Amino acid sequence: MDIGTAVAGLLTLAILTFLYRDNPIYKMAESLLIGVSIGYVLVITWSSTLMSLLFTPLLTDGRVWLIVPLLFGLMMFGRFHKRTLFLSRFPIGVMIGSGAGIAIPVMLEQRTLKQMTATVMPLVTESGWPDLSALVVLLGVLTTLCYFYFSREHKGAFGIAARIGTWFLMIFFGTTFGYMVMSRMSTFIGRMEFLLTDFFQLTG
Amino acid sequence: MRLETRHWIFAGLFLLIGVTLVSGIKLDLPVSPDTQRMYDLIEKLPDGSVLLVSFDHEASSLPEIQPIARALLRHGFEHKLRLVGLALMAEGTAIGYRLMCETAEEFDAEYGTDYVFLGFRPQYIAAILSMGESIKATFPEDYLGRPYDSLALMRPLGNYSDVAGVLSIADGSFTTHWMEYGGRYKLKVLAGVTAAMVTTYDPYLASGQMQAMVSGLRGAAEYETLIDRIGGGARGMLAQTSAHLYVILLVILGNVSYFLKRRRAN
Repeated sequence: MDIGTAVAGLLTLAILTFLYRDNPIYKMAESLLIGVSIGYVLVITWSSTLMSLLFTPLLTDGRVWLIVPLLFGLMMFGRFHKRTLFLSRFPIGVMIGSGAGIAIPVMLEQRTLKQMTATVMPLVTESGWPDLSALVVLLGVLTTLCYFYFSREHKGAFGIAARIGTWFLMIFFGTTFGYMVMSRMSTFIGRMEFLLTDFFQLTG
Repeated sequence: MRLETRHWIFAGLFLLIGVTLVSGIKLDLPVSPDTQRMYDLIEKLPDGSVLLVSFDHEASSLPEIQPIARALLRHGFEHKLRLVGLALMAEGTAIGYRLMCETAEEFDAEYGTDYVFLGFRPQYIAAILSMGESIKATFPEDYLGRPYDSLALMRPLGNYSDVAGVLSIADGSFTTHWMEYGGRYKLKVLAGVTAAMVTTYDPYLASGQMQAMVSGLRGAAEYETLIDRIGGGARGMLAQTSAHLYVILLVILGNVSYFLKRRRAN
């Protein structure tokens, strides 16, 4: 067994001790995970972003215009002191402005228009029979929208529609929760497989 | 040492999963239409097509992500696709590189010609948009620090118009960003995601914004059946099924116990 497998196996067992109760071994493994993750992100950001995209082109290749993003980045550190706080507002303004400019049309097109288009489907199949799934989608969209319409009291026919909307929502939440349980089980099974196969070497 | 009900429940789950994994029994699984669609799409790509593989996940989801990624990478290499790996999440970088190298070794694929790993870029929106303009400007060098032009596979690649699509291996919403921002460049998006993300991505699959999706351990197991290579997915399916039955049993027992207690109280 190599050292990496041994460390991974011991740390997996350390994390699993939390299932009994909170304890120092679990806390040590958790702190180690956080520390290593942050350290790794810092190193990779420094080497693959700051060095590769900023310092090397600026200092070696002489791309002087890269001083602008460098200055904007340094201005962000102004937030650490009251007197220099205003400096950070410039790069934040640029980030928010450009971010919104890029995101708004994309969100409208991809999340709203394309999704709405996909909802509008022929309700009858080519053979002349009603398309059940298209009808369910239409009913689900309309009744769920009724539920989220709060400017009118949920009474009468509108109330019934809103109530049907809540059923669709409950089915969605149930499905999502079921998938979530499935996902967490898969993670646990993956770790168990690692422990049994690589760490304890009980299976081939 | 005081044991509570939850400890017995955990012990039961440990025992159940342990025994099913050690037993080595493989379940015979029917392949779902979603998984079949992914397989067919990759099969239809001509030999030598370039596919971006983006590792957009954290280390914590590795047990579920690894079988999916490995099955898809195996199919890619087997089908003679040229794979370009990258990561939009820092933690996916080393994992992605290791998975690509290990899988490439199984097929004698050569680094620089058959596959390349570009590494990590922060600010995913900027990275996706920037690659749409120029992959070289976004990644002037690969993960190992080799210049872009020194890699035979990368030299002819300008932007998304030179690739067949992107395969996003994700445990969160990053695939959405590929669809939304890559969609501006008509980039085809395929996904290998954790089961928890299925309800998030199903609407995109239905609308055609996503081309195909393989999800969870079950998706991995189905894909392994299609490519005829047993991996973590198929090995874990009996354990997965047993664990689900165990949870259902506990839910029923919990409800029966609750109603019996309520009746006694009345």
